[in-house]
Amino acid sequence: MTGDWRAQLRLISLTILGLIALDAIVAVGLATVAPESLRTYFEYGRSVPGKLERWVETPVARGNLFDVAWIPDVIADSDRLFAEGAPDRPMVRGYGMSFINQLLHAAAEADPTLHLDLHSGPSAPPNYTYALFVNDAANRRSGDVAVLGVLSSSVAAMAALSNQTWNFESPAPFTYPIWRPEGTSGLSRIDPVVKSDQDARAVASGAPIAKAWAAQLAAQDLMYSPTAYDATWLDVSPFARLVRRSLATSAIRADTQAVTSGEANYPWAETLIRMSRLFAAQARAEGLIPVVVLVQGRDLGDPDLRAALAPALSGDGIPTLITADLVSPRSVGNFLPDSHYNQEANAVFGQAMADLIATQRVSARR
Amino acid sequence: MLFSQLQFWMFFTGVFGIYLAIGHKSQNRMLLFSSYVFYGAWDWRFLGLILVSTAIDYVVALRMDASTDSRLRRMLLNFSLVANLGMLAIFKYLGFFVESFTILSTKLGLTAHPETLAIILPVGISFFTFQTLSYTIDVYRRKLAPERDFFDFALFVAFFPQLVAGPIERASNLLPEISQPRRVTLDAVGRGAALCLIGLVKKIVIADGIAGSVNAVYGAPDPSGAEIAVATWLFAIQIYCDFSGYTDIARGVAKMLGFGLMRNFAQPYFATDPQDFWRRWHVSLSTWLRDYLYISLGGNRGGRFATYRNLMVTMTLGGLWHGAAWNFMLWGVYQGVLLCGHRALSGVRGRGAPRVAAGTAPPTGPRRTLAFAWRVVLALMFFQLVCYGWLLFRANSLAQVIDFTVALSAITPGQFADLNVPRPPTAALLGIATLLLWDAGTELGGPRFYRSWPMPARAALYAGLIYLLAFGATTAPTAFIYFQF
Repeated sequence: MTGDWRAQLRLISLTILGLIALDAIVAVGLATVAPESLRTYFEYGRSVPGKLERWVETPVARGNLFDVAWIPDVIADSDRLFAEGAPDRPMVRGYGMSFINQLLHAAAEADPTLHLDLHSGPSAPPNYTYALFVNDAANRRSGDVAVLGVLSSSVAAMAALSNQTWNFESPAPFTYPIWRPEGTSGLSRIDPVVKSDQDARAVASGAPIAKAWAAQLAAQDLMYSPTAYDATWLDVSPFARLVRRSLATSAIRADTQAVTSGEANYPWAETLIRMSRLFAAQARAEGLIPVVVLVQGRDLGDPDLRAALAPALSGDGIPTLITADLVSPRSVGNFLPDSHYNQEANAVFGQAMADLIATQRVSARR
Repeated sequence: MLFSQLQFWMFFTGVFGIYLAIGHKSQNRMLLFSSYVFYGAWDWRFLGLILVSTAIDYVVALRMDASTDSRLRRMLLNFSLVANLGMLAIFKYLGFFVESFTILSTKLGLTAHPETLAIILPVGISFFTFQTLSYTIDVYRRKLAPERDFFDFALFVAFFPQLVAGPIERASNLLPEISQPRRVTLDAVGRGAALCLIGLVKKIVIADGIAGSVNAVYGAPDPSGAEIAVATWLFAIQIYCDFSGYTDIARGVAKMLGFGLMRNFAQPYFATDPQDFWRRWHVSLSTWLRDYLYISLGGNRGGRFATYRNLMVTMTLGGLWHGAAWNFMLWGVYQGVLLCGHRALSGVRGRGAPRVAAGTAPPTGPRRTLAFAWRVVLALMFFQLVCYGWLLFRANSLAQVIDFTVALSAITPGQFADLNVPRPPTAALLGIATLLLWDAGTELGGPRFYRSWPMPARAALYAGLIYLLAFGATTAPTAFIYFQF
């Protein structure tokens, strides 16, 4: 290769210096004058341990999800409420995420006789909602309605142990089991090493559990990507954070694709069908009315829940509400900017849910 | 393996490292092997197509060159045309025509039972087919001597930087670059890297960034006229950045290897009329269509109506080149109508307009400002016509074309206050502003306008672009739109 090496080296050096200078200016700008939205944008690229550490240090920080949705806490709350004396009327017990909460609130508006008891986690995958249902068995009564939420955008996370491995930008550390088909109709359960917020704090402080947790994520969580976890010292640079965000989200996207396409050898549809059957069977055994809700999100890349699950659930006679049957997930007008369904769409879902519960109650009485 | 993925850059780093260490002939063989690996990464089965096309055109060109029998030469040319266009027809158009025939038969009350066709479209088939066709036709016209080295010819057909989405190189440009030893200079590597950087910003930051907003409206059941207008403006930017971004990277990669590929885009949205637009948009295709189709049909030599006919045929086939769908054909017809209309109007204008004496000095002072302002207004007005073409191009069906056209005809200013279009990311908006300045700089100062800047200013520009790339690189990488053509 011929040419003026010195000139090229000077240009490259100046470009690198320019990048460092620009990075420093951005870092100072973010610390001083940048609007909150821009700061948040750059925070998205911080490593997962970096984000968790900041959440531990500043519990009041905006978007801090450290303490939310831990299964033992949710069940403890449910135990406490039940022990304090549950209302003497049938309850609709929802196990889901924000979509299910909004839908059930709309159902309660459509039918004020419905009383809600909601358990949920942010973007919670079905393995979380099902685990809540299983663990909450002591706090239900015959005649209740049990609602199991399945969100299309969280289906790939059935192969994960925590939101922190697949939701890079908001890595809520709460954990849940991974379920896998076992035998002809059962499910096996792999529980996470980290089970509570105390465990997660211990991990953040470098206690011995941190090693076991890292090993378990690497071995059993199909969404785990080292790009999201390693080289936390790079978090000091906004530029490095941007690059990490790009690489980490790209890796997670590839993992998501691998799980939903079947490449990753995780049978999510079969697991979900078995999960729904077991849910319905247990609910009926307890004298409850089971309802599975399939929430189709607006992302075109999400698996089509209706196509994958509806025939099996319908064949088994499991009451199912499919949002895509009621409101088009392809119409941007049905969504809020934060990707949730808007009020009108939720009103439609709520009415359908109220009708479905009423029909099921009539059938149950017969 | 997309240009916008890390995987490609790892591949290219390996290729470039080996390339620097070996001699000319070995470089060519290695590039050929790498090109097949690159193409095989999509679907290795279609390598057979490229090999068949390569072998046919290699033999046909040698035979044509050796023969003085005009009948035999024409027969050989026809054989090449039938073979290449036949493959294109089978893989790209057969399914479309069978489906259209079935629909037509059903509408006429007839029953058709065609075999179900599940033919996969090989990536880039239209590009490499047109490239080899130009070679055979040029040899037939005796404008070009045939390439005698089979492997060099195979590299001309399969050269990986431009294999899947152009530019559609002419043999007279690329073959000499393959057969002659090339010099890899630091300056060329630097310029190539800069082109790649600009291409990546266009593709990743802008095109991928705004794709979601466009898809949301084109996937919605009943968007308002204003939403359609905004989404179509955005699509105009998306397709330009997607395709010209690919071309920039292709040219940049080739430049680093010592090749000079043609410019495919020259600030197309600064065009003020259809003719001007086609001198700026997808230049390698428009000049191909001009040289091998329009002129072969008679060009403008047969009078006004023959010219209009030739324009319409050329542009309609040009539309169909993009894909086997009625909306692409409609887009081609629309472009033909624009070109004919412009030709007719400029003819009328030309007869009535006062003639300007040669050597008249360009306007200065306020007149110059006025002339510039008028040009901007014309470009903005013509951009709306281009955008309607993009609506035809982007629409998911003919029914959507009709629905959207009706909605656009009922557009009101009030609709713009109530837009339901997802806001493109900040990085994409910054990228669009940068692109506008970049294209303005190129329009006024030529493609190398920034090369004359002092080194610190250039370094600041590159640093800014790298930062912007990182800023916008968080969206999902998507395939280049033109890969499907």
